[in-house]
Amino acid sequence: MCGIVGLHLKNPALQPELGRLFVPMIEAMTSRGPDSAGLALYDDTGMHVVKDVGLPRDICAAHDIASRSGYQAVGHTRMATESAITPEHAHPFTPAPGLALVHNGSFSNHASVRRNLAFDGITCTTDNDSEVAARFIGREIARGADLEDAMRMVLKEFDGFFTLLVTTATQFAVLRDSFACKPAVIAETTDYVAMASEYHALAELPGITDARIVEPEPERVYAWSR
Amino acid sequence: MTDPTQAGLRESATFDRATIAGIQRAAETGVYDIRGWGAKRAVPHFDDLLLLGASMSRYPLEGYRERCDTDVVLGDRHARNPLHLDIPVTIAGMSFGALSAQAKEALGRGATEVGTSTTTGDGGMTPEERGQSKNLVYQYLPSRYGMNPDDLRSADAIEIVLGQGAKPGGGGMLLGQKISDRVAGMRTLPAGIDQRSACRHPDWTGPDDLTIKILELREITDWQKPIYIKVGATRTYYDVKLAVAAGADVVVVDGMQGGTAATQEVFIEHVGIPTLAAIPQAVQALAELGLHRKVQLIVSGGIRTGADVAKAMALGADAVAIGTAALIALGDNHPRYADEYAKIGSAPGYYDDYQDGRDPAGITTQDPELSARLDPVEGGRRVANYLRVLTLEAQTLARACGKAHLRNLEPEDLVALTIEAAAMARVPLAGTSWIPGQGF
Ligand SMILES: Cc1cc2nc3c(=O)[nH]c(=O)nc-3n(C[C@H](O)[C@H](O)[C@H](O)COP(=O)(O)O)c2cc1C
Repeated sequence: MCGIVGLHLKNPALQPELGRLFVPMIEAMTSRGPDSAGLALYDDTGMHVVKDVGLPRDICAAHDIASRSGYQAVGHTRMATESAITPEHAHPFTPAPGLALVHNGSFSNHASVRRNLAFDGITCTTDNDSEVAARFIGREIARGADLEDAMRMVLKEFDGFFTLLVTTATQFAVLRDSFACKPAVIAETTDYVAMASEYHALAELPGITDARIVEPEPERVYAWSR
Repeated sequence: MTDPTQAGLRESATFDRATIAGIQRAAETGVYDIRGWGAKRAVPHFDDLLLLGASMSRYPLEGYRERCDTDVVLGDRHARNPLHLDIPVTIAGMSFGALSAQAKEALGRGATEVGTSTTTGDGGMTPEERGQSKNLVYQYLPSRYGMNPDDLRSADAIEIVLGQGAKPGGGGMLLGQKISDRVAGMRTLPAGIDQRSACRHPDWTGPDDLTIKILELREITDWQKPIYIKVGATRTYYDVKLAVAAGADVVVVDGMQGGTAATQEVFIEHVGIPTLAAIPQAVQALAELGLHRKVQLIVSGGIRTGADVAKAMALGADAVAIGTAALIALGDNHPRYADEYAKIGSAPGYYDDYQDGRDPAGITTQDPELSARLDPVEGGRRVANYLRVLTLEAQTLARACGKAHLRNLEPEDLVALTIEAAAMARVPLAGTSWIPGQGF
């Protein structure tokens, strides 16, 4: 239904290469999400978000993503389910400074969570289910939770299917629902942590053959900080 | 008997045969009709709603491998010991007096076997019922029959009854033929004489004094027991807000179809609003207070199947309660009693004379011979079976909607088949995005 990718650089020497490493990753997810695509790049000046309808290749080219440097990137290719195909409905959802969420799956009780958030004065700007999760995590962080705790609260509050990749200026975290049927793979080397819906998105990364590769377990938060 | 319509005769829709019989009976006797059961007229109900199962945009869950939880916590707003039930289907309050001691015991056994609660009624707590019920809700009613602090303390939760869906604004009734010495003793009233209990509580008249009453009950029970408030569905939006303001942990809303042991026919059929219309009002009240699913909502009145359970929960109920259906599970209206029903002027599927104590199934009676027909152990097994089926059916539907817990069903999973049901339940007419009453 959608493809998600993320790259979290541990080795500062790779930072000038971030865009060059990242573009093949998101392009590899084109078949999972041909409707629209989006990405968030983190560098020392902050988080930069690009979202548009169309193919990842065209969107990356239009914004010259390959030449960008930084320490972290997340991306998403979307095949819309129940909400419209517009740049606003594309992922990542970025409800707070530095916070980005990409999601593969579909939540089955997001209308109820949306109403609870609205009661707290938090309104969503789209009817997309993933935005509800992004705003929920945003609220928990605003209340003082760290990202890992906020993601564990997602397990309690949300029903349905999800693989989530959520990033802040300092953290990179992955979570799958209890059924774990939306695909995910994580690769870690001394230089980086990379995550994708399918392995072939990681295949071009340097040193990938020696990376520690895991399929994330259900209901477990995998998190890295810098 | 030949069918009169074959001869071209036409029955009146306004003066149908039941109406004619009612007029004839009134003219003959000069008294109004009192009966049991609930409203018999058709009103918009859960059958007028459908669930949107998952297909492509959502994923369903696998029936036999993937879990769909059913537990519910009731009363954790203020009570130190909230009830934690395994299933969200509870047994509604039905009095000892209306029901035999065996029937009460069977309901307790059935509920306990599947991890849910049962409820006393207008007549106090019997030792059989307490003994066989792991979770027993104690009703506190205007009549105060059988009320005492020891029973309050031995209960697992307290339900303050303001009204019943079958007769909002009316009090209890138990006719003399059912008032045996034991029933009379528990109520400290004479045997064999009709009892009519008060329609409102004697020691408080509004939500202001009710707040004080609830504090009193909390003191008596050391703040341990959840306190429910039960209302018959009428001005449900306001009643639920007031119940919360008065300090309830749980609100029970009983729709107009809800069963009764004995009430005036005119009351049963003409007062209150359908269960379907009451739930959205109650949920709106709770949501506006930010307390939906924090003060739990139990809904009753016409719950029959797991589909009803799932739909009530999708509309926002945390749990449901059953009365009539539990009696049917025990054997009420069973065809095996056809001959005996005929002798008392009724038939299987029609029997509603719970008030007169001659129930062939031995459930709504105090007659020692009739009540001995119901074996509490066997009855408990049947109730447990039925509760299991309700739960499995509700899970089947929730899984189809992609829910790993029944409580995650939501109104967005529902559509309505009729404009009336759409307007009352506040869900769109199937295939449209139109919710009547909320614009286009
Ligand atoms: C035989 C019988 C006795 C009842 N006794 C009481 C009672 O003592 N107190 C009360 O609050 N409700 C009483 N009720 C109403 C039930 O608690 C419940 O609200 C109703 O039965 C739910 O509707 P249903 O019968 O369609 O499931 C009684 C109902 C029946 C059928």
